[in-house]
Amino acid sequence: MSSTDFPTDADDQPGLIYQANPQLHDEAVDSNGALRPHWASLLERMRELGPDAFADREAKALRILRDDGATYNIYSDPTSPTRIWNMDLVPHVIGSNEWLQIESGLQERAELLNLLLRDIYGERTLIQKGIIPPEAIFGHRGFLRPCHGIQLPGEHDLIVHSVDLVRDHEGNIVVLGDRTQNPSGAGYALENRNVMSRVFPSLFRDSEVHRLSTFFQRLRSKLNSLAEQSNPRVAVLTPGAHNETYFEHAYLANYLGYHLVQSDDLVVRNGFLWMKSLDGLSRVDVLLRRVDDWFCDPVELRGDSRLGVASLLDVVRAGNLVIANPLGSGILENPVLLRYLPDISRHFLGRELRLPSVQTWWCGDDDDRQYVIEHLAELVIKPTYRSTESSSVYGPSQSEQELQQLAERIQANPAGFVAQAIVEASHVPTWVDGELKPRPTILRSFAVANATSYSVMPGGLTRIGLQERDFMISNQTGSKSKDTWVIASEPEVDVLEEQVDDVVSREADLISLPSRVVENLFWMGRYAERAEASLRILRTAFMMLNGEERISEATQHQLLHSVSMITATPSRPTDDQTAEDALRGIIENGAVMSSISGNLNAMLFCANETKELLSSDTFRVINDIRDALTTLDTTFSGSLASAPEEALDPLVTALMALSGLTQESMMRGFGWRFMDMGRRLERGYQTSIAVTSLLVPVMNETDQSKVCEALLLSMESLISYRRRYRARVGVTPTLDLVMMDSSNPRSLAYQLEQLANHMRALPKTPTQYRELPLEERRVLECETILKLTTLAELSHVEEGDIQRQTLDQQVGKLAELITGLSDLITDKYFDHREASQQLVRNNWEAF
Amino acid sequence: MLYRIRHTTEYVYASRVSHCYNMAHVTPRTSRRQQCLSSRVDVLPTANFSSQRTDYFGNQAYHFEIQKPHKKLVITSTSDVRTESQAYAPDLDLGISCRDARLAMQSSRDPEVLLAREFLMDSAMIKSAPELADFARDLFTDDKPLLSAVMELTRRIFTDFEYSPASTTIATPLQEVMANRKGVCQDFAHLQIAILRSLGFAARYVSGYLETLPPPGQEKLVGADATHAWLSVYVPGEGWFEYDPTNNCMAHEQHIITAWGRDFYDVTPLCGVIYGGGQNPVLRVAVDVTRMG
Repeated sequence: MSSTDFPTDADDQPGLIYQANPQLHDEAVDSNGALRPHWASLLERMRELGPDAFADREAKALRILRDDGATYNIYSDPTSPTRIWNMDLVPHVIGSNEWLQIESGLQERAELLNLLLRDIYGERTLIQKGIIPPEAIFGHRGFLRPCHGIQLPGEHDLIVHSVDLVRDHEGNIVVLGDRTQNPSGAGYALENRNVMSRVFPSLFRDSEVHRLSTFFQRLRSKLNSLAEQSNPRVAVLTPGAHNETYFEHAYLANYLGYHLVQSDDLVVRNGFLWMKSLDGLSRVDVLLRRVDDWFCDPVELRGDSRLGVASLLDVVRAGNLVIANPLGSGILENPVLLRYLPDISRHFLGRELRLPSVQTWWCGDDDDRQYVIEHLAELVIKPTYRSTESSSVYGPSQSEQELQQLAERIQANPAGFVAQAIVEASHVPTWVDGELKPRPTILRSFAVANATSYSVMPGGLTRIGLQERDFMISNQTGSKSKDTWVIASEPEVDVLEEQVDDVVSREADLISLPSRVVENLFWMGRYAERAEASLRILRTAFMMLNGEERISEATQHQLLHSVSMITATPSRPTDDQTAEDALRGIIENGAVMSSISGNLNAMLFCANETKELLSSDTFRVINDIRDALTTLDTTFSGSLASAPEEALDPLVTALMALSGLTQESMMRGFGWRFMDMGRRLERGYQTSIAVTSLLVPVMNETDQSKVCEALLLSMESLISYRRRYRARVGVTPTLDLVMMDSSNPRSLAYQLEQLANHMRALPKTPTQYRELPLEERRVLECETILKLTTLAELSHVEEGDIQRQTLDQQVGKLAELITGLSDLITDKYFDHREASQQLVRNNWEAF
Repeated sequence: MLYRIRHTTEYVYASRVSHCYNMAHVTPRTSRRQQCLSSRVDVLPTANFSSQRTDYFGNQAYHFEIQKPHKKLVITSTSDVRTESQAYAPDLDLGISCRDARLAMQSSRDPEVLLAREFLMDSAMIKSAPELADFARDLFTDDKPLLSAVMELTRRIFTDFEYSPASTTIATPLQEVMANRKGVCQDFAHLQIAILRSLGFAARYVSGYLETLPPPGQEKLVGADATHAWLSVYVPGEGWFEYDPTNNCMAHEQHIITAWGRDFYDVTPLCGVIYGGGQNPVLRVAVDVTRMG
């Protein structure tokens, strides 16, 4: 073997020349140092591109990933748990002949594991015949006894099967392990493909890469076929937005056209599973599960779980629901099974597996344990049950003492450990700091059951180690991924679907969003508006304080009061402080900013919870808000900058863009209505607070005018005012514009009018009487108060009064009614069921 | 013997329960020495949906769902059961020795033994430990017949431990029972299972009822009976044998089986999830075992 220089005729162009490490198998370069044929043209194109252009493409890829909201949550990093999906732009290329072999090996393996799964939850002949030791199944936490006897319709119980593959130093493909619970990665593979085809469109087109969409069409057909009825409702069950692969859950749900649901969106009633939506309950027939099986049913499985649905398993048993992968399938991830898989294969298939597993020893077997204890330093030790507390140990990197402790841990619980031979994974060219470097690679493959066998995704999710000799490759340790290109040898055939049925189901689904999603949209609207109101009054205060006209102490005091009311930051100037000092104080000490960023973070949270409904454009704006938010703290810490109001502009603009986008691009379904109701309610409330805090106190004419100006400025109505009245700013016309004028989209009257419209359009439970529902009466009451009050009454001041009594009372009443209205809506439309508890507190960790 | 059993479980909650999902093990199962002739379960308020199934261990599990708000839940199981004594030689000195039994458990390829190994392993509430084996190692000498060694262990637990209803809860760990030498039938069954498993024998937990007879000349009180628990040990090649450490005997006709499993966790009489209900519900259980002939 010799070191390999890529043949180069352009020595003046450094970088993007791939040099393989001759000690290990390389995907792109053969043992003679020559490029493998299916890599040659790709690397040639990359070389032509040069490092600078490549870096540009990388920036573009990052932008796309960001706009798509492609993230991966790292549990171990509390400061920044959400990361942009880490992707390398050099694809992993696999030739078509070789892929055919891998594919048939994967099909065979999936078939075998399916038989194994059926046996474990059925006859258990493998145990009775002594092919698997009883402890391997009975002693594993993945074996869920309540799932005994449950079978899915059709040939297959294992619907989605995923495998981690590596190529060893001799070039043989070896299976490291199986993922059979809720395999993750298929959605990320799809996103990688999406990015590649946009960043390198011509390269991608010319390379004749197998498309991934066929796999997802097959997944859809399979899931749809699992229910008895022809047009089933399928939903993706996610643990929620904090989950490491939440992006993928939302992405897949969208791509497949399914609802994304969480525990609280679902309820069991009368032996069926239902999704709670605004117009009632909609039956769910099939669940694509992304929650670990153990957490899925607090009645029969883990009692303290908040991620499942009570009595879910009984619905499955009654045949009224199919879950894919079925509950209990986690047992197949037990690495002890790798040790016995050759025997299992001989038993079921009568032959050896085409794709071997990595050599595995089980410490529960006396001979195996003895070998493992003697060879600890050459092996990887893994717990048989994957959990966050226990992870694999790489023998060679352990000290004598650590190995000794490891041996003791094994001796204390031998059946809980397996050991595996170390496989040095083959290398693949990877873009590292402007050069192409060899990095170890691992491929996660995906197979989905079809009527007769399994369809394998052509490609999969390639992940690479960060260092040349990295052993652990895991997304949790921050490794990168790649698109995987399987080169097509013949044109592809599309899977045809019943298009007509699809159209029908989509329309029905538009109405019945899970009520949690609607609730999040409602609050997203409220928080966005609340943050905007705070930013606007703050910006106004800055502009007035820094303006060329010096404003009086009384005006400053009023501004301080208003900022503190609207941002909900209590503040009162101390004796030796001017109002301006106090205002600067609460800004500089971060109290106001933390109130604003609190609201914005809450809004971002709601956006994340409704991720599947938001467009790519919306995500771009949301990313802008997130970016502006991180700079907010630094801008305002320490002393105030010279023109701080400008620092607030990007945020205000981004929030405006967000509200514009929802107005212009959101379907006028319930989702949009509730988001807008949230906005209207909040804006109505904030307007009443602004009016009360600024206009109730009676001031001298100059100050009064200044304060009115502040109010108009913060409500973006000053220009309209000037255009309309062309006079000095006075209380009565100001009140007219901000309260009565329903042509002003920021006025109180406008908010109430919109709210009334929305409420009339909401779904109603039919009753025999024609009386108005409570919330509609409440809006009517608000509108009536506003309409029956005259401006003269509102701005009226008695001799010697220091406050406008009527204004204070009437606007105060409106603010109170609006707050109550929000409660009425949330109580009526959103599910706030009582907290559940276990009848018998059962915190035993079941085996 | 033919019995009619009425088992009522009542929960009174501190505050309203809006809806609930429950699973009950209250219907007697069928076993080699027992046949359940008829059974019914009544739930108040009326369940919206219920289902009965045979679970993994062969027990009857009853699932129900109540959607009506309630402050009190009553579940009553009524069954007619015919029982027999265990088929064992009155002389326990026959049968397989402790040594042979232990070896068979480790290396037999007999499917029945392989499946019984499930009950040799740790379970949710029972963990093997050397101290537990030490408690009875002297009784399980190599040549002694296993059945009589288990009877001696049953007697030792009966003698060394005090029956004390106030002393334990469902969640009393075994170490505590060992230290205090006090407990109820459930603790004694768990303890004996743990000791047997620690010594290399498979054992399972049996829940059920015990017919009690009133003192001579007195009328039997309604609701005077109670749920009971004992255990069953696996003897390779011979099957399962039931022992009752609370009463220092082998189970007989008066021991009526509800369900068995690895420990109490597998056969909890009533469990589930309730919505609302407040704290500290009041639980009342009443059992009547009536001899029908």
